Amino acid sequence: MTSEVGRGTTPADAPEIGQRRSVARLWPAIPAALVLGVLFLGSMAFMVVFSFWRTDAGFHLVPDWNVDNYVKFFTVPTYLRTFGKTLVMAAAVTVAALATALPFTYFLVRYVSRRWQRIVLLAVIVPFWTSYLLRVYAWQAILGERGVINQLLMGLGIIDAPTRLFTYNDLSVFIVLVYVSFPFAALALYATLERFDFGQLRAAQDLGARPDQALRHILLPQIRPGIITACIFVFVPIIGEFLTPVVVGGTQGVLIGNLVINFFRGAQIAQGAAFAIVIAAFVTLLLIVFRRHLQVEDVVARG
Amino acid sequence: MSWPVARGIDPIETMPVSPHARATRRVLWLWAVIVMAFLYVPIVLLIIFSFNEPASPGLPITGLTLDWYEDALTNRLLLDAVKNSIFVAVAVSILATIIGTMAAFPLVRGRIRYPGAARIVATLPIMLPGMLLGIGILLFLRRVLDLELSLLTVVAGHLVFTVPFVILIVAAQLQGFDRKLEWAAADLGAEPRQAARHIILPLIWPSILAGALISFTLSIDEFVITFFTVGPQLTLPTYIYTQIKFGVTPAVNAIATLLLLGTLLMFGLGIVLLSVGRRVRRRDAT
Repeated sequence: MTSEVGRGTTPADAPEIGQRRSVARLWPAIPAALVLGVLFLGSMAFMVVFSFWRTDAGFHLVPDWNVDNYVKFFTVPTYLRTFGKTLVMAAAVTVAALATALPFTYFLVRYVSRRWQRIVLLAVIVPFWTSYLLRVYAWQAILGERGVINQLLMGLGIIDAPTRLFTYNDLSVFIVLVYVSFPFAALALYATLERFDFGQLRAAQDLGARPDQALRHILLPQIRPGIITACIFVFVPIIGEFLTPVVVGGTQGVLIGNLVINFFRGAQIAQGAAFAIVIAAFVTLLLIVFRRHLQVEDVVARG
Repeated sequence: MSWPVARGIDPIETMPVSPHARATRRVLWLWAVIVMAFLYVPIVLLIIFSFNEPASPGLPITGLTLDWYEDALTNRLLLDAVKNSIFVAVAVSILATIIGTMAAFPLVRGRIRYPGAARIVATLPIMLPGMLLGIGILLFLRRVLDLELSLLTVVAGHLVFTVPFVILIVAAQLQGFDRKLEWAAADLGAEPRQAARHIILPLIWPSILAGALISFTLSIDEFVITFFTVGPQLTLPTYIYTQIKFGVTPAVNAIATLLLLGTLLMFGLGIVLLSVGRRVRRRDAT
């Protein structure tokens, strides 16, 4: 109560004025509260409810409270394996995207003029704003059996017949996911590197540090928030990814998101909702654990 | 492709410290070129194949043609899909901009009881995988509210992730806003409404505009949430999806090329408007 008392009000009339003021100030947020509070949180809340219900033989949702849907997730080996594989894929893509983006952004910030930095950064962002679907689709013609890579390899005489090494498997999913994740990683890393004072690296070296020591002990700790932001922005979407496996992954490249979609296709709503909730809970947990380091604006507000 | 070294950068700054510095820099430069190629080769190929004669997109290039563009542009389904997408994107960008901008004020200035929670609720829709949002909203609209799916449900679905974008962008600018200007206006007798209209809005409109452009682009490209919340209508992304899944012809590449061009134009327009805004503000400031 007392925390709502406005500064500069007299104690006698403070509580009332304070309250009226805070209501007056909050009304512009009502439409947003409807969208986020009712539509978004409501959706999530009902998904939790449905995940404890049952889908009967006629594909109707029945309010028959049980935890079977969750038990299934954690006991059926295929489901657990697919979830585990999704986590491994997400981790591998995160490592690859960061390993690609870190030297790239380091070069950009350290050795390229401000004007060109902006141009190159824009060139990185532009594909990021074009259709996700089309960016994935673009790879079909490259990785496919009659795709560019196969044509090139055959043209060079390295292979005689088209290889299926690059298509409809985990490798193709991996390549495409690194491709679509790269801009997230680059933006997040650029934002922190830009704030880093490179004079410190010189200072460290003047004091006798080897370049690798300077990087590890001076640069790395200071850009850690950017690295964490990049990791989250790459890792999290992959946990719910289903499009890339559909377009370039085939049956071998299936991720947990595809299982969820299949449940809904098959009208197994309660089961699908439980899987979705497990994923959502996992993601929310990650976001809460890393919330202090997460700089959403660095990635989002740059467009 | 070479990036000129910055003029005006202190030569000491770039002076090699370690004996390997020059080599390191070369390697990094090469890496940057490879990365840019990685980013753009797929897009360039996508465009090239839209002009290629054979009926399945790929190498070799046997002859150039504009047939796929004619195919795409005379397709009724596609034109309807484009119309639907534009309707949704315009509605979403107008609504999201108004709703998000309004919400940014109390979020930045009001004493909200749980700022941390509000922040998480506002960032979750951006961070959560689209599939979860799509499924959740679909269940809510169909099973709880018992609504028929239509383009309007798509608009509702898109608002869930575009409103947070607008809030974040406008809030970021409001945070840097010098409140003394408002107090000065109030001292000079301006009502809060007048101060908002004549002092705040003219100063923060670049971020509002950026919010509108971003929500338009996000909405017109959004596939996953549309996929779940749309009725029998097709939008551009869902049309492209059916094309990719069932029988790809370079007509998809033609659509992609046109869409890319459209996005570039929007992007260019946004940048020009933003820099005009900045120039106006600078002129006003002096």
